Order: sequence, then C-alpha cells, then structure tokens
Amino acid sequence: MADLQHFDVAIIGGGPAGQAAAVALSGHGLSIAVIDEQPRPGGQILRQPPARFAVQAWLEGRSYAPLKQLLARFQALSGITWLGEHSVIGVQQGSVMAMGPEGVTTISARHILIAAGCQDLAVPVSGWTLPGVYAAGGIQAFLKGQQLLVGSRVLLAGTHPLQLLIAAQIVAAGGTVAAVMFAQPRSAMIGALTKHPLAALRRAPDLLATAGALRTLARAGTPVLFGAKIEALTGNDRVSGAITNQGQVACDAVGLCYGFVPQSAVPRMAGAQMKPAGPAGGWACVHDEWMRTSVPGIAAAGEAVGVAGAAAAAAGGSLAGIAIALDLGLIDADAADRAARQPRRALLQHRAFAALLDAAADPTDHFPKPAGDTIICRCEDVDHATLTGQVSAGGSANAIKLATRCGMGACQGRNCEPSLLRMIAETGPGSDPGFTARFPARQVSIADLLPPE
Amino acid sequence: MERADVAIIGGGLVGCAAAWQLARKGASVVLIEAGDINAGASGQNAGSLHFQIERRFLENGDDLAEQGAQIVALSRHAVTDWATIEGDLAADLHVAMDGGLMVAETAEQVALLERKAARESHEGLAVRTLDGEQARTIAPYLSPGILAANFSADEGHADPRAVTPALADAARREGASVRTATRVRTIERDAGRFRVEGEGLALSADQLLVAAGAWSTEICALVNIHMPLYPVALLMNATERTAPMVPHLVQHVGRRLSLKQTHAGNLLIGGGWPSRLAQTPNGGFDLSARAQMIPESLTGNLLAARDVVPGVTQLNLIRSWTGVTAISSDQLPIVGPVPRVPGLWVAAGGSAFTLGLTFARMLADAMTGGDADELALLSPARFEHLNGFMG
Repeated sequence: MADLQHFDVAIIGGGPAGQAAAVALSGHGLSIAVIDEQPRPGGQILRQPPARFAVQAWLEGRSYAPLKQLLARFQALSGITWLGEHSVIGVQQGSVMAMGPEGVTTISARHILIAAGCQDLAVPVSGWTLPGVYAAGGIQAFLKGQQLLVGSRVLLAGTHPLQLLIAAQIVAAGGTVAAVMFAQPRSAMIGALTKHPLAALRRAPDLLATAGALRTLARAGTPVLFGAKIEALTGNDRVSGAITNQGQVACDAVGLCYGFVPQSAVPRMAGAQMKPAGPAGGWACVHDEWMRTSVPGIAAAGEAVGVAGAAAAAAGGSLAGIAIALDLGLIDADAADRAARQPRRALLQHRAFAALLDAAADPTDHFPKPAGDTIICRCEDVDHATLTGQVSAGGSANAIKLATRCGMGACQGRNCEPSLLRMIAETGPGSDPGFTARFPARQVSIADLLPPE
Repeated sequence: MERADVAIIGGGLVGCAAAWQLARKGASVVLIEAGDINAGASGQNAGSLHFQIERRFLENGDDLAEQGAQIVALSRHAVTDWATIEGDLAADLHVAMDGGLMVAETAEQVALLERKAARESHEGLAVRTLDGEQARTIAPYLSPGILAANFSADEGHADPRAVTPALADAARREGASVRTATRVRTIERDAGRFRVEGEGLALSADQLLVAAGAWSTEICALVNIHMPLYPVALLMNATERTAPMVPHLVQHVGRRLSLKQTHAGNLLIGGGWPSRLAQTPNGGFDLSARAQMIPESLTGNLLAARDVVPGVTQLNLIRSWTGVTAISSDQLPIVGPVPRVPGLWVAAGGSAFTLGLTFARMLADAMTGGDADELALLSPARFEHLNGFMG
C-alpha cells in the first residue's frame, strides 16, 4: 500500500459536481485531490476520449456547451491533484482509500465530497446476459470515450427519454438503430412533461435536443415506438433479436434504458443516511442545505443526492464547495449566502425539471417480466425463481443475500439490489433498507492492499 | 395467552438447533427472533470447525490455557455432531472435515504448539505435530516460512449460510413455531412460568432459553439477571472464487488467522481481528448498527494470510465484513441453567459455531430431565456472585 497522502479536501468524482466544487474552492490555497475512475476529467456526461485520439465534433450539442465551459475552467485550476484511473474502494470520516495504477493509496482529508455520479439501472429480462446486451449508458460511454459502435443494428428499449439521444448519437456516428422502444404509452410521457410547462420551458435546450434527436431518427427512418415492451432477448452466442409485444425485432446489440440510480456504495459504506432515490430505485444521500451528509466532514453532490442531470450536479457541486469554504472558515456566512444564491436557484430549477423527467420516464409499471431462470445476480448466478422463493418466505434483503449469495459477488450488489428490492416491495411493506454496504466498493488485489514484501 | 413448554429467544445456530432437538423430544417450542433467522454471528462467522485449542486461550497464560484445554472434551463431541448433522437434517451444509493445520513461524511458536499438543493429547484429542516439510507435503500451499504445524484430522469448515436455516427448517418440521421479526419487550415471571411479550406475541412458557448472542445480556436484563457478556466486532474477508487450493482449515498459533476455501471457491480470511463497534448517541455500544472496519485490522489480517499462504496475493478481495459476537468475562462460553432463576437457561459467549450443535443437544437433554454434567465447565453458576442481589 502506498503512503498516506494528506489534502485539505478530497473530491470523489471529476464530473460536473466535482468540477464545480473545485472551482468554488479555488483561490483559497487549498490542496485538493480529485479522484476519478476515468483517466481524464469530465464524468460520464463529458466522457473524454483518450488524449491521443483526434476526435472531430466531440459532443457538439448545445446542451453540452456550458458543461464544456465548466470543464475548461476546472482544467485551468491550479492546486488540484488529479487522481485519474483511481477507484475509491473505501471511505470513512476523514479518509478515502483508492486503488490506482500504482496500487492502493490512502488519502486523508478534513473534508470529503462524494460526487460519484450514477449508473444505469440494471434491468433483468430473459436473455439479458447474452453478449451484445448493454445498459444504454454503456453504449453511450463507448461512443463518447472510444468512438466505438457496439453493433451494426442496435435496439434501444426502456422508459427513459435519454435513449432518444443515445439513438441519435448512434445514427450520427454512422450506426443503425433497429428501433427505439418505449415501454410506456406516449400519453404517459407527454402528460408528465406538459403537467408543469414552466419547469419544462426553463430547460428548453434539453427539450430541443430531444426534438433534434427525434428529427435525426426520423431522417434515418428509425422507428420510435410507444407501449412497446421487451419480453425476451434471444440469440445463441450473442443477442440476435428481441421478442416484444409488438413482434420480433432483429438486432445485434441491445441497450436497455429504464433509468439511472446513484452510485451509493461509497456514502453507504461511510455510514451516511440515505433515502430512496426515485422511481427507478436506488439510494440517494440525505443532505442539508449546504450539501452536508449525516456524517461530519462528508458532503455529497451531483447524482449522489438524486439523479437530476449534469446542470443540477454542477449547481450542487458549487454549493458544496462554498459550504466547505464556509466550514473551513475561509469565507463568512454572509459571503457564503451571497455566493450560494445563484447555485441554489439553479439547483431548484433543475430539480423541478428532473422531477418531470422522472415522472415521464417512470419505469415502475413497465419493467420486463423475468422468467424463472433469468439470472438476477450476475456475479453469483442467482436466478429469479430462487429469489421469488426467498422473497415469499418474507426475508429481508440482507437475509436473502446471506441465503442465496445474491449481492455477494464482485459488484457488491449494485446491479441486483434494485431488482431484489422491487421484488420485496411487491410482496411487503417495501421499507427494506437494502444490503449492508461492505468494503471494498470495487474488488481489489490483495497484493495491492499490502506493503511490498 | 399462548402456552409452550419452552420459549427460545434467538434465531441463531444454537437457538434453532435447540428448538429442533427439543421439538424432537416432544416439547412444544416457540422460537422468537427479533430480526431474521441467521442474521447475527451464526451467519456472519466464517464457518470454521476448529477443535484444537484456540490461540486466544493460549496467549493469556497457563490458567486460561488449562481451561481452554477442558473445552477439548466438548470438541470431541462436536466432531461427532458435525459428522452426522447433514444426514440428520437431510441437507447439504457443505460440511468439510478434511483436516486443519495450526501453524508456527518462529521457534517460540513451535514450542507453544508442542505444549498445546501435549495438553490436547492429555484431553484425548488426536493432534499430530509436523515439521515444516511435513506440513508442506500435505499442504503445498503453505509458505516456506512455516516451521511447524499441528494437524487435527477432523477439523474443517461448514457453510454458515446454510447451517442455521436448515436447523430452523428442521425445527419447524418437528413442530416448533419459529417467529421472526418479533422483538421481545418484556419477560415477567409468573408462578414459576415465564410470560414473554412483544409485538404480536404473548406467550407463557415453563422454561426459557436465551441464545441471543451479543444481545443475550439485554434479554437476561429483562429477567433482572446480570450476564457478563461483552460484544466484540470481528473482521472477515472473502476473496474472489478460485480453483481448489486450500482443502484444510488453516490457523496460526501465534497470529490472528483463520483461512479456508468455501465449496464455492472463495477463500475466507479471518481470525479475530477487531472492528469498531458502533456507538449510541448517549454512549455505549449500538449493536443494531454496522461495526466499522479498522484499516489496520484489514492489513494485519491480510499480512498474516500472505505470510502463511502466499498464493492469496494473486487473488482479489471482494468483500470485507464485520460481525458481532460476544465473549464472556472469563472467555469461556456461558451455557446452562441460571441457578438464581429456575427454568432460565443461557447459551451465549462465543465458540458457538463449532460447538453450537453440541451445546444445543446437551441443553435439550438437560431441559427435558437429563443432566448437564458435561456442560458444567460452562455453567452460568460461575457468575452466580453477580446475581446475588438480582433475580
């Protein structure tokens, strides 16, 4: 294990929230570590291609512009120690353990900001373990980060409008999209958006991006279907088609897009109080008006406090940065309040829009029905029938984990937990707190945890 | 009010095994568990079946080592109980009794091994002392740094995830009533019986067995009895699955280490490294909250594992977890009747995975008119002085 490194502030996540916090903390002479799994800053939203790639027209859309500005400001800051290619494996009050190319390092910091973003909700359906089946966000990550198309004929299916943007990005990159299938009826989506027109209007660029995506797909002749539900994915060595309630679709790649859940392993391991994150499931950090979690010295911003998009993440990150400056005595309460006015307003506005999006994308009644032999926990090969038996016997998520190994594998349950909790909620009161979070958040080589021999 | 011959508090290994044994003998049994079956130390421990004298008994002087040696008599029964349990329950509990090694790395530790083996043979436990070469012949995964080992042919491991649920099922099949998610609020003594009440529970029982692990102290407090048990939180670690490499239980005579490979292929690494118990806002320990890992314990445990089984460094750690158990004020488990309160029985205080089946069988005998002589060493009577003003 490498030596202990000391910083004033450790920021987990180099996306918009982490960047904005670093920007808000700049100018005070603080030592700040920013830790991220990606080699370069940007987060998932601005996932940068490797520096040696020459990429033309990288993320040109209008909604990316302010995020690119924030990224440029962040990259121009001095006093930042960028710890790219580092996975945080453990967090306790005052310290972060991270695994990087040189092994495991422990970082001590008076203030820790968790801005670790979100991940695709993993949605089990018969055939989803076939090669070629992705979480839609994964397809987008390949596109943004490596300019790579995952298949020659991609089917997107789910309930989240982001799949329209991903489909348009695939088409723009020269790929073919077999169809974009929304499981919910069109009326449910439109109805949610028109219920609060003002909140929707304030985020016109995003809606325009969606309209632009629809135009791109229309030009390419890509069908956009509503009320179209996946029943099974089929194929031998890899996915070759989907059986849906509207017939069969041929494809060689599938992106499932039912929503996003916060990366909650790190704050849960730190013991932060959590709350249900939204209709897609998952857990969000409870925080105060200054983004402080229930654990002293640990703040949270971005999707860690609820999936609300990059603009909300940046606003929350600013707020967290201002609060850390306040808590360190670098600015007084008045200055903090003044500085916080704009990001607070922005946060409210963007969260209102996120609530609309949540309602429009609500997957609750539209999940595919797994078959009995559909694997739910992919690390430990636990199928739906096994879990159904345990759930009907009334076990808690932790008890079922112990009994079946569901959630005991390398991913620590971050993929199967929402599925299991949905099953538990269907039969009971539904207040199960989920799996107890365990170290390490990412599997880590034992050699890396030890001093050299 | 519901009536039963025996109320058992605690849905861990001992409680479920006792429920099964008592129900088989025809007793009406109600088992009460605040959470889920197997949620405490019974399901969280790493599943060692260790019959050699434990390191913790050896490191604190001769008197304690002498007491530790007396437990060997019970261990001999435990060997039989584990060898027969899968057949008795008709369940696959992944019981593996392919032998266990307790290793030494220094001359001092070798001497300790030899003294330990002498005590064990005096108590009738067959243990072979091997030099480093002999040890590596049967256990090629051991480090060249191992100078000697004691080998016990019966040691091994079982699956803590499977054992207690199977016992609970067996208890149900024999007619015991198992109530989970039922927290006991009050226990009143009424004309020689125990009135146990909680959410959805109003029970009158002739006898009461407290087998609630670290929670046994507060359950005994409901009967106005002191039980000198102290919670401890221990660290355990699991690697990713790997091809079969360690068929034995591996322990260390001078360092905290237990290591074994599960039937699924994961290596489990533990050995008594401390974690930090959660605290309540008002001070005191909060057993309901997760204990916090101590980074130095993680490093110390993995170092011990590396020094004994160097191959572990090739593997990924996928999970470290903390579990809460209890130790008594003299380190020996507390098992048997409480003299101050006739009808009250206790089984708590550690060693209860390896010895739990045996505790339960002997308790069931004693609670249905047999004697408890073989448990005398562990009797709560040794703490009767604490309860002189209680009851």
